[in-house]
Amino acid sequence: MSDATVKGPGYSVSFAAETATVHFEGSLRLGTAEYEPIAALLNRVLAERPKAITLRMTELVFLNSSGINTLYKFIIAIRKLGDMAVHVDASATITWQSKSLQNLRKFLPSITLTMN
Amino acid sequence: MNESIGDFRDLTRGGARLSLVFYSGGFPMRWSQCSATAEYFAEYFADVYTRRGAGDWARNEFVGTLSYVVNELVENAVKFSMGETVEVTVTIEGEELIALVSNQILATTVHGLREKFSGLVAGDPQEMLIARVEANANNPDAGVSGLGFLTMMADYGATIGWSFDPVADNPQNVLLRTMARLQMRNQ
Repeated sequence: MSDATVKGPGYSVSFAAETATVHFEGSLRLGTAEYEPIAALLNRVLAERPKAITLRMTELVFLNSSGINTLYKFIIAIRKLGDMAVHVDASATITWQSKSLQNLRKFLPSITLTMN
Repeated sequence: MNESIGDFRDLTRGGARLSLVFYSGGFPMRWSQCSATAEYFAEYFADVYTRRGAGDWARNEFVGTLSYVVNELVENAVKFSMGETVEVTVTIEGEELIALVSNQILATTVHGLREKFSGLVAGDPQEMLIARVEANANNPDAGVSGLGFLTMMADYGATIGWSFDPVADNPQNVLLRTMARLQMRNQ
């Protein structure tokens, strides 16, 4: 899969193939259906079956519960594939990340999470 | 019908608070305005909080928490409101941060909501959150995530309460008030 980006007012989600990194940026507070383009991008990443991916969250200031649902569902889809390593780069000073991202381990125990 | 579920109580009458009222009409509240509303309350009250030193959260934790909670409550109001007034109130009482959102809903939806809310306050929020996400992952067509209240309760330690009250001049609608309360202490 080549590089891909989903952009909207105040946010962008982009995949960099060279580093197998999904970079989330800005503030994501969309309605449930509006997350579909982002879910589609994430599913295309999955379909490539990379051995390892990184999710870079350190510039995603807000994420609403519909977005959290999209993220958790992606992580569960990775667990179901069984053999993909996931690393999450997060920021302890961004509240939604310090509150909610610990849950990722419950959906994918092998996930590694850096909270700086 | 005057009924409450969970941890709902009337705000202290005449107590210090800030309310924004959105009157329906030519410019009803839209989805993209929920976030702006949440950020306004969060920034406004961050100064109140910092001056008072009412808890041990850092400023960014205060802003992030209030912004998350108000955004979720207002998103619900925009989703389910019957086009009448939406009122958002925030206050700090002691070490407690309180957000209250009022909006009208169709009376026919009360039964389903009562069951949903009663279920939310009966179980363990953390377990319900995990179960709900796993169920969502198995049901890709689910139109709603159902994670708003569960994340507030499980991740932020919020207690939630709801009240249903009659609307005087419109028996087809019911006034739903939703309250989230947070202790501004590190757990």
